Amino acid sequence: MEKGINKQFSYMMALVLIIGVVMSFRNSTFHIPGNQQDYEPIQPIEFSHQIHAGEMEINCQYCHFGAEDSRHAGIPPVSVCMNCHEFVNNTFNETRLADQEKRTPIPSKEIAKIYASLGRNMDGTKTGKTKSTEWVKVHNVPDFVYFSHKPHVNAGVDCAKCHGDVATMTRVKQVNDLSMGWCLDCHRQDHEPIQQAAGRTAQLQDCAACHY
Amino acid sequence: MSGTIQKYYTSYENKPCGTDCSHTDLPSPEAVKETSGFTRRSFLKTTGFSFAAFMTACSKTPVRKAIPFLIQPEEILPGKATWYASTSLACESGCAVHVKNRDGRPIKLEGNPDHPMTQGGLCTQCQASLIELYDSKRIFHPEVDGMKADWTTVDDHVIKKLRKVRDDGKSIVLLTGTVNSPSLEFTISKFKKKYKTVTHIQMDDYSYSAILDAHEQNYGKRILPKYRFDKADLVVSIDADFLGSWISPTQFTKDFRQNRNLDGKHISKLIQVESRMSITGAKADERIAKSPSEMIQFVVALDKAIRGKSVKDKQVNTIAQSLLHHKGKSLVVSGINNTDLQILINRINQHLGNVGRTLDIKKPSRQFAGSDTSINSLINELESGMVGALLISDTNPVYALPNGSRFAELMKKVKLTISFSDKRNETSDQCGIVAPTLHDMESWHDAELSTGLISMMQPVIHPFGDNRSLRKSLSTWMGNQQDERDLVRNYWKKVFKTRVKSGKTFARFWNELVHDGFARVSTATSNFSYKDVLVTVSKPSSKGMELVVFASSQMGTGKHAENPWLQELPDPITKLAWDNVASFSPETAESLGIKTGDVVVIQSGENSIEIPALLQPGQRKNTIAVAMGYGRKGTERFHEIGADWLEKVPTVPKGKTVGASVMPLITFDKNISFSGMHVTVKNTGKTWDLAFTQTFHSLENPKNTAPAIMPIRPFVQETTFDEYKKDPSAGSHHGHPVTTLWSDDHTYKGHHWGMALDLSACTGCSSCIIGCQVENNVPVVGKDEVFRKRDMAWLRLDRYYSGTGEDVDVSFQAMMCQHCDNAPCEPVCPVLATVHSSEGLNQQVYNRCIGTRFCANNCPYKVRRFNWFDYDRQDVMENMVLNPDVTVRSRGVMEKCSMCVQRIQEAKFEAKRQGVPLKDGDIKMACEQSCPADAIVFGDLNDPDSKISKLTNSERHYHILEELNVAPTVGYLTNVRNRDTSKEKGPHHG
Repeated sequence: MEKGINKQFSYMMALVLIIGVVMSFRNSTFHIPGNQQDYEPIQPIEFSHQIHAGEMEINCQYCHFGAEDSRHAGIPPVSVCMNCHEFVNNTFNETRLADQEKRTPIPSKEIAKIYASLGRNMDGTKTGKTKSTEWVKVHNVPDFVYFSHKPHVNAGVDCAKCHGDVATMTRVKQVNDLSMGWCLDCHRQDHEPIQQAAGRTAQLQDCAACHY
Repeated sequence: MSGTIQKYYTSYENKPCGTDCSHTDLPSPEAVKETSGFTRRSFLKTTGFSFAAFMTACSKTPVRKAIPFLIQPEEILPGKATWYASTSLACESGCAVHVKNRDGRPIKLEGNPDHPMTQGGLCTQCQASLIELYDSKRIFHPEVDGMKADWTTVDDHVIKKLRKVRDDGKSIVLLTGTVNSPSLEFTISKFKKKYKTVTHIQMDDYSYSAILDAHEQNYGKRILPKYRFDKADLVVSIDADFLGSWISPTQFTKDFRQNRNLDGKHISKLIQVESRMSITGAKADERIAKSPSEMIQFVVALDKAIRGKSVKDKQVNTIAQSLLHHKGKSLVVSGINNTDLQILINRINQHLGNVGRTLDIKKPSRQFAGSDTSINSLINELESGMVGALLISDTNPVYALPNGSRFAELMKKVKLTISFSDKRNETSDQCGIVAPTLHDMESWHDAELSTGLISMMQPVIHPFGDNRSLRKSLSTWMGNQQDERDLVRNYWKKVFKTRVKSGKTFARFWNELVHDGFARVSTATSNFSYKDVLVTVSKPSSKGMELVVFASSQMGTGKHAENPWLQELPDPITKLAWDNVASFSPETAESLGIKTGDVVVIQSGENSIEIPALLQPGQRKNTIAVAMGYGRKGTERFHEIGADWLEKVPTVPKGKTVGASVMPLITFDKNISFSGMHVTVKNTGKTWDLAFTQTFHSLENPKNTAPAIMPIRPFVQETTFDEYKKDPSAGSHHGHPVTTLWSDDHTYKGHHWGMALDLSACTGCSSCIIGCQVENNVPVVGKDEVFRKRDMAWLRLDRYYSGTGEDVDVSFQAMMCQHCDNAPCEPVCPVLATVHSSEGLNQQVYNRCIGTRFCANNCPYKVRRFNWFDYDRQDVMENMVLNPDVTVRSRGVMEKCSMCVQRIQEAKFEAKRQGVPLKDGDIKMACEQSCPADAIVFGDLNDPDSKISKLTNSERHYHILEELNVAPTVGYLTNVRNRDTSKEKGPHHG
């Protein structure tokens, strides 16, 4: 009886190991649990950073205004979107196309979603039902890591250093693995400008710099 | 090393007793039971299967959503704290606070340093009251006859009934706690006009009526004077625990501390006369143990001696002489609720010329105004059936009155009974209608705690339920539909011209009032003249056992009995959590055959209570002291609290309350009397487990390992002021020869954080413990876990006794991680989960920790805490109080004081943002911030001008267990008592 269980157990372990090994070969994007590199979830609104940050050259902190003074960079409230989209109802391409074809552009379905979240229709009528957009969070660190945007932004670290070249992404993708080793790659650097901005590199390698 | 060290002990049972001391740090047989036979084989099997289960569970990481604001309020930034000034009235005397709001939730209260009364201090009760905001068992909607109702129904019903009562000519009684809010007073006065038969009666659950009544007789006005402990050089306190629970302890501690500054040429002296051991008695320079009846004789004799008459008692004569020597600079206070006695106290103070100097009656305190006479007449009126409506707010007469059950019966005779409590209590259960009020954090309110000083309360969160304030309810019943804010604001607009004498506009005054949390306003001052009143205090019988009922500093009158933080906070003196006890002097207990933990019956007339006993060093013989505020309805909920596992013992048996109510034993003649009741005691033969926190985590040297040269470790170091003046290093035990094996490779080029705790300042109020608990998400574990020595407090307050008999000194010592430079916990960790930071902090990395507990074993200070369980909150809503900047630790990891590293980081980030270096005082620890005695100082040891560097270099500074060469960065300053050295009882090092 006792033996039987042990045998079954060994078989099961072997099976699990084989599946693991096969998985890692078959799928090139296989990561150890917790590593979400290359994560590129579908968002409720097809918002393009490539248009906004790339073509329009809107500064990152225009929308993510929390980055300088808070732990979270923040996802902009709809009121920030409406600063422009009160007047811009069409996509870039559609405006250009309609201009060529000399017709009124068709309002964008994606922009209609931000109007809808405020309880409005694009034709000026109201639905009265407001609902916040539930974005899918792309960059996550575990609960036992305290990451704050505030010191990084104030030390002059470029957003792209961690988030990759978002200005070229239509849909945002996690470029780096956000592992502790990756964090320390910068925190260990003794040279400019990080050392100067932070004062002392030793502090940046303390456990309690991130874990508390 | 020279001199003898005083012997300190932690409980009567653990008193120094020669060579055969039993050491209580060993687990008691009850605490450690043999667990079932779990073999190595089955362990491996389980591990294997859990590993397989873990592997199969390796699916995708769950999708996390981020939901932004639709329209973000300008002042709110997700992830950044906003602070609002407000006032907490949880302790009834009132504490001015700054509320820390994160993402719309208040998560921490801190003292408002600008407020002239509490001056940045914060008491345990106010600090802990925050969790009651998130209590899902609060009443969130109005009720009629126990059924949920809406406000319109309630309002219609009440208005109809109130009109009928008025037209019938019966009286409408509004029974409230002390009302010191000018706007509420105004509403009540209008309510009186509208419903002509209204009487407003104020009742405090712990009555200060005698002081007010005595002042009415002596000065013609019913006032509670403002005591100025900062101006008194000699304080004689007769049973007034003014540092712990009497009137306004936070304010008094701040004031008292001001006059105890050792840099000056002199410090004040405190003489405490009391039966039980209070924290004021612990701080006292001279403590005289007397029974309640002896105390009355003491006051009578003192009054005689002050007036120059001859008195036999030598002790009284000496005290009278020194009081006369400090004319105008002394203060005599008494906490005995006896009008005749208070008249004597008034006469003494008047004779000493203290009135107007150390005792302000022109601008009196307005913290308490309850009247025993009015309550007596209310009871008579209820008996006669003349009361048509009884509206009860902010007081709990059924619990707090000596004949509470009789009061409950009388309430049944009243046609309309309304309770305004948002928590179910003994009184609200008797009321037909419940019109729940708001938590302090949800309401607009003002309080004139001291005449001419308005403290403001503003809402910091949208109300959780459909509750409204007493002011709003009364106004609605008068047909006034203004909202909560306007009811307060429009009152101030109305009186602005008469009460505010400044060039400001009203809008500016109001904004500043809300922003600062307080404002000074003008008051009509009247002159009082003293009128001597002849009283004869009858000599009480001193035969038999006398009972003393007191409000403890953490539980007070029991208003916050449902608060898990306060229940688990050990009493500063007894170090007991989750229970109240009957304290006996060891001598008396031994003669009665009572031991700690025995359940006794205390009987007075027909009433009796069953309560466990405790042998309390320093207590007067033939007295019993019991804390009030226990046995409260609503504490049955704690049956569930704590981690769930096989051998769990519930904190309270099902349907039972925490502790026992002592209120049936208090008496009500002219005044409600809390002391001097004659009782009989009987041992029932039963025993009760008591969860003490000082029977373990001992710093003492285990007998078998104690070296011959250091049998007793000098962790408490104290001296007298006379000795200190001669030699500032008196009392401290420096100069232990240590040889070090540590290489000097910790250089700390940047900051080197350190802390100093002044034992001379610390009063033992325990505010720091709650501050730490709230800031660092320290869980509540329940009585059983505390009993098993598994409490989780990062900061504990050790209490040591020294001396024998009734002549006992108490020393307090806050103990937390000492952040040793040569930390003994670090080299024993097999996974480097505890390591040193470049700034001198001993870091604990939860995600590395595998729970070997080697570190806790190797810590000489016993400050490390192990998570035996995931301490889920019993009430899920309480999770909202968690600090999002601190990890919630899971089962199997070690934790300890992190030196509030999140606060250090936050301050660094902010300094970086502003591009300025960190200044001394920019970072305050959670414990330091709320300390009413300014006993805790944190700072950078590398900054020579910092406060901490100055204290560390002070001659009073020492490290605990310095001889172990662990080089702590947390230091202590010797306790200096202002005591006559010639009378010194124990030998001292000096």
